[in-house]
Amino acid sequence: MAGASLVLSDDSRLSQIDRSLYRVEGWLALVSGIAVFSLMMLAVVSVTGRNGFNQPLPGYVDWIQQAMPLIAFMGISYTQRDGGHIRMDMVVGALKGRALYAVEIITTLAVLLLMVLMVWGTYAHFARSFDFASPMWSRDSSMDIALPLWPAKLLAPIAFSVLCLRLVLQVVAYGRAFIRNDTHPIAVPLVANAATQAAMEAEHVSALDR
Amino acid sequence: MEPIDIGLAVSAGMLVLVVLGMRVAFAAGLAGMIGLIWIFWAKKGYAPDDFGWALTVAVKTAGQVPHSKVSSQALSLIPTFILIGYLAYYAGLTKALFEAAKRWIAWVPGGLAVSTVFATAGFAAVSGASVATSAVFARIAIPEMLAIGYDKRFAAGVVAAAGTLASLIPPSAILVIYAIIVEQDVGKLLLAGFLPGLFSAVVYALLIVGMAMTIKGFGPPVTGFTWRERFESLPPALPIVFVVLTIILFVYNPFGGDAWGTPTEGGAIGAFVVFLIALYRGMRWSQLKDALLETAKLSVMIFTIIWGVLVYVRFLGFANLPSAFSDWITSLTASPMMILVCILLAYAVLGMFMDAIGMLLLTLPVVYPAVMALNGGEAVAAADSAFGMSGPMCAIWFGILVVKMAEFCLITPPIGLNCFVVAGVCDDISVQDVFKGVTPFFIADAITIALLVTFPMIVLWLPSQV
Repeated sequence: MAGASLVLSDDSRLSQIDRSLYRVEGWLALVSGIAVFSLMMLAVVSVTGRNGFNQPLPGYVDWIQQAMPLIAFMGISYTQRDGGHIRMDMVVGALKGRALYAVEIITTLAVLLLMVLMVWGTYAHFARSFDFASPMWSRDSSMDIALPLWPAKLLAPIAFSVLCLRLVLQVVAYGRAFIRNDTHPIAVPLVANAATQAAMEAEHVSALDR
Repeated sequence: MEPIDIGLAVSAGMLVLVVLGMRVAFAAGLAGMIGLIWIFWAKKGYAPDDFGWALTVAVKTAGQVPHSKVSSQALSLIPTFILIGYLAYYAGLTKALFEAAKRWIAWVPGGLAVSTVFATAGFAAVSGASVATSAVFARIAIPEMLAIGYDKRFAAGVVAAAGTLASLIPPSAILVIYAIIVEQDVGKLLLAGFLPGLFSAVVYALLIVGMAMTIKGFGPPVTGFTWRERFESLPPALPIVFVVLTIILFVYNPFGGDAWGTPTEGGAIGAFVVFLIALYRGMRWSQLKDALLETAKLSVMIFTIIWGVLVYVRFLGFANLPSAFSDWITSLTASPMMILVCILLAYAVLGMFMDAIGMLLLTLPVVYPAVMALNGGEAVAAADSAFGMSGPMCAIWFGILVVKMAEFCLITPPIGLNCFVVAGVCDDISVQDVFKGVTPFFIADAITIALLVTFPMIVLWLPSQV
């Protein structure tokens, strides 16, 4: 089972597109990270207000519920690019060359099929709560302080659309590697065996540990 | 085809995709989506004109899941717990803990190894991730143990095994995930992990002391610290105590009266304190950004599996698979305890090949209702139940058992990830060395699990106080 892996790059058009998309994905992931940080600060304000000034933060739970989709969805494509979504790599770890790329193309296309349907489904979910004619364009709102729900619902189709772009790019990259029978495919996460993965984890921690 | 047959066929298809290396989250989501389309279309007798209708209904059913399921206050604990772990590195808490543990307890036989176990248990209190915990302590503790003559295989084994304590001692992300999937009280589950985690650490420590007293030339005790030196080592490690106490007090007030707040608030306050310490130790924006990005990545990975699996669960409900499996399990003539042990053993085998979170999320929707049925149902009273505990208590007990099983698998061959990480950190220690060194702990874990199964009070005492 592996999460971490590596992505190679060169000066081809494909790799340039990969890196441009990665910058966008990086920004979206950072938004998600900052949302986690805000969640923490929100709790500090809420607890201090309630215990110190007898003044609880109005709509604390509503704000948490608004922040959760930011955290849960915005980094999805960033994580896919780095190969961070976990999988079993017993089979792909044993395959090489064209056989490996063929399997990767099939599974990536399967993910793409799912995500296109999910963009449709989550957009429909958003559309049911969005209405230009209503106050704040909203048909539904949160329990306590009546925040409109549509902005949070819109995040899922947005993040999933970016993921679809990433998946198309990965299918192309695997296809290219298949046709050219590359030994070092670019713009896709390489399968790292347990040892490499451990070394990367260790290196990451070493950089952190002072 | 009957819905149940569709359920089995789609689940088998999902397993093939998972084995082929499709990301677990998406394999589960796709299985759920295709299953929903199939079931709705089957209801219309597969009329070609009705396929579009079945597709639309299935897509809209699945499309509600991501937003409605992740917008929950309970789930907000997961990113906060992950953030605490990343910030803890910058706060320099690991070295402080090891130093304090060494000065206070290294005088016992096998002292440095025992100190490693307790320092790791302490760090577990701010880190929800076993693998990272092992990697950090491999760098701090192994060199010191080697310097005073420990066998390198044993030194590596201690660190690999102690790393597994992270997922029981709160804050534990994996226990939060379990609580969400089985719809149980998050706070009680977090409390329940505390004693079994401590219990595991004590079993490890006793094992080390026993080995040190019987094996000649085993690591010597480390003595000669003055009381002054001991007390000086405490303040830098205090934040850990603060984080644990905060989380516990926000769930349960041992002095009577209400808890101080919600687990979400407790986790956030804990993270905030660690954040302030990291700032004090000179953390820069680039490092904070790195910690936030890593937190985002790990969180989204977990949330994607959660909504993917919940799409699959929605389909399972239509296919009636969980209740069919429960009926089958309860119709078996073997004793409920025997069946439970078989389920745990099945997890041990599965865990050798799968990551803990993926394994639990994929199996719990079917296995958990079966275990509850085995005990006599969700609402059963302790007196009428098979395991002698009420439904909610059985849910907590089973949760701790499966999480402990999943951790057990982090140190078993062939893919015990903790062992690979320790070998990866130390240049002259091979994976085989670590697997050899970890064997005694493997046996200790088996004993711990047996004790947790036989004496459920170790798990249930603390949560039953709330």
